[in-house]
Amino acid sequence: MNKLFTVIDFEIKSYIKNKSFVITTVIMVVLLFAASFLPKVFDLSSVTGVKTESVFSGSDDGEDTNESDEAGTDFYLYYDENDTLVSEEIANELFSEIGIFKKAENKDDMIKKVTEQEAKGGFYIKDDMHYEYYVFNAEMYDDTQMMFETVLANLHKQNYLIAHNMDLAEFAAEYEALPEGDVNILGKDASQNFWYCYALVILIFMLIIMYGVMIATSVTNEKSNRSIEVLVTSIDAKYLLFGKVIAGTLAVVIQAGSILAAALVGYSINHDAWNGKLDMILDIPAEVIISFAVFGVGGFLFYAFAYGAVGALVSKTEDINKVAGTVQMVIMIVYFVVLFCLSKPDGIIMKVCSFLPISSYSAMFVRIAMGKVMLPEIIISAIILYASIIFIGWLAAKIYRMGTLRYGNPIKITNALKYIREKE
Amino acid sequence: MKLEVKDVRKSFGDKEILKGISFEVESGKALGLLGRNGAGKTTTIRILMDVFHSNSGEILLDGEKFDRSKVMIGYLPEERGLYPKRKVLEQMIYLARLRGVDKKKATENSLRWLKRLEVDEYAGKDLETLSKGNQQKVQLASTLVADPEIVILDEPFSGLDPVNSQILKDVVNELIEEGKIVIFSSHQMSYVEEFCRDIVIINHGEIILSGNLLDIKKEYGKSQLVVSPVDGDLDNLKTWINNNLSAYVEVTGNNRTDVIVKLKDGITRMEFFGALSDKAAASGIEIEHFETYKPSLNDIFVERVGEEEKEHEEAEEGDDNE
Repeated sequence: MNKLFTVIDFEIKSYIKNKSFVITTVIMVVLLFAASFLPKVFDLSSVTGVKTESVFSGSDDGEDTNESDEAGTDFYLYYDENDTLVSEEIANELFSEIGIFKKAENKDDMIKKVTEQEAKGGFYIKDDMHYEYYVFNAEMYDDTQMMFETVLANLHKQNYLIAHNMDLAEFAAEYEALPEGDVNILGKDASQNFWYCYALVILIFMLIIMYGVMIATSVTNEKSNRSIEVLVTSIDAKYLLFGKVIAGTLAVVIQAGSILAAALVGYSINHDAWNGKLDMILDIPAEVIISFAVFGVGGFLFYAFAYGAVGALVSKTEDINKVAGTVQMVIMIVYFVVLFCLSKPDGIIMKVCSFLPISSYSAMFVRIAMGKVMLPEIIISAIILYASIIFIGWLAAKIYRMGTLRYGNPIKITNALKYIREKE
Repeated sequence: MKLEVKDVRKSFGDKEILKGISFEVESGKALGLLGRNGAGKTTTIRILMDVFHSNSGEILLDGEKFDRSKVMIGYLPEERGLYPKRKVLEQMIYLARLRGVDKKKATENSLRWLKRLEVDEYAGKDLETLSKGNQQKVQLASTLVADPEIVILDEPFSGLDPVNSQILKDVVNELIEEGKIVIFSSHQMSYVEEFCRDIVIINHGEIILSGNLLDIKKEYGKSQLVVSPVDGDLDNLKTWINNNLSAYVEVTGNNRTDVIVKLKDGITRMEFFGALSDKAAASGIEIEHFETYKPSLNDIFVERVGEEEKEHEEAEEGDDNE
């Protein structure tokens, strides 16, 4: 057992002493933690919806904006043929959400100025139901016309009510009346939990792919630089593989754990400043974090052993992708299936996935976060996953032992399984 | 200590790699394990190291089943292998610890061996920054770092300059003097001759020659003689012997300065010497040197493996014809 710890110690140092690992981790931790303080430094009221005391909150910059708009081309022209809007002042009140509106002398003059890009756009208003919109370059997502139509439609309604001697305020109060009610969620709020589940599924997928390849590369490197020749004569091959996989897992826990902790702690400190706007991603309940840790670590170990075995089947690092394709395909399929079924956590596909060891690492914690799942189901799924890890660890150690001293062309997985049935 | 390998057989799939290998080696003595590439030396070593399991046969240490966990083995593989991007000292300590040495002792031993092999100045450097010769010395240091009782050296001198070779020779001699069991595999026969009391030559998975090196040399030199001409024209001397002395000897070859001949059955050295003197004087051939042939290990290896190859090829042709 001491030898296993020696391997883990040596392997974990290869991560910790790796400059890119350290720099990435430190930068991510610092950036995320610092980012959580942004509302206290800058005015992010447009995002958070609340004005907070921030160091760089500009003073009453509404006028400045208007001044700059006046000076530039950030205004619209309109030619009101039948005085539908009555005056420019009223027009600006009505369309304040769109921008500044200036009255054009005539339609041709308006079109000319829009063509010469002196104005952002132009509206030729025939009456409260008919208009023409002129714009030089239409943007992909231009909502000006939609907003204009909404205002014009309201104006039309208003004109109608006035024409029929109806009280606008009374009508609006009744017409737009909404029932008042409170939602009391006694279980889980799927809409609230959706986004952090989405983020965690992507996170665990990225970690498995990224670190899995690193583990496979580490195994192949030992074959390619022939250090395996000495290693297998000094220690049982299974300790080498288990040591590498455990070290890789610890590296993931250290890196992902610190980054996640920096984001969660920072957000929790500045929760009020953010006005809870990032709750959907960063307010993760404890039971979800625990289940993510249990199933995430399990899933990582499962695939890390698979990658370790794959690394032993090739002699050159450039050949890893030739044999890792099958493992990567399974990971990709699981990833897409879980993402597509995220909105149906209690569907049959998600239920099946939550028990299969190849997919339970993400499917089960999604069900825990968003669906209906009983404790015995969670326990059974965890037992299946960890029993599968023991099996795949044992199988991977056999493949590793068989593959480490076979050089040359990549060994097919089917051949590897055949060889390990033969006694070496 | 006495290590015995008894009738070890090993197959990979349908191919039999070792066909009953047997030899023994004792403490304080070195055994030369020789053979052409692919003969089965590395497989034999890997079975000794328990990397492969043999299909049959046994390995004994002092008459008991060889338990690798109780005996420290140092193995220098032919394919050198350490971590290029890790510090020299760091990986030596790691390898020592994998062999069960505690951290303090592992550090002491590592520094001691690095100093003994004159590479201690590189202890804190990445291995890949060292020259090939110094990497080779680090590899040897890591082989010996756990103070092994059995040392297996596979081509230890490859890539070393004469100065480094001398350092390594001294170390190997020290190991033998300290009473270690040394198994030495190399194609550089001069080193084998220098260190090994016994040799084993493997070809196609079989031992074709084994025993005490001096006895083997004596046996191979028996009834063979060398004759060297004054003018150094070996071809002329060979032709002359074939034409004039074929009743006494058969020309078997030559080395750089001598023609090698083998006495025919019933012919004594004195009879051949008398005939050689008479006929040389009559023909005007001047002989400079005449003595018992002392074959080098290289000569023995080439001759024995060459004969074996011929027999092997003939056997294979016979199998194909059937």
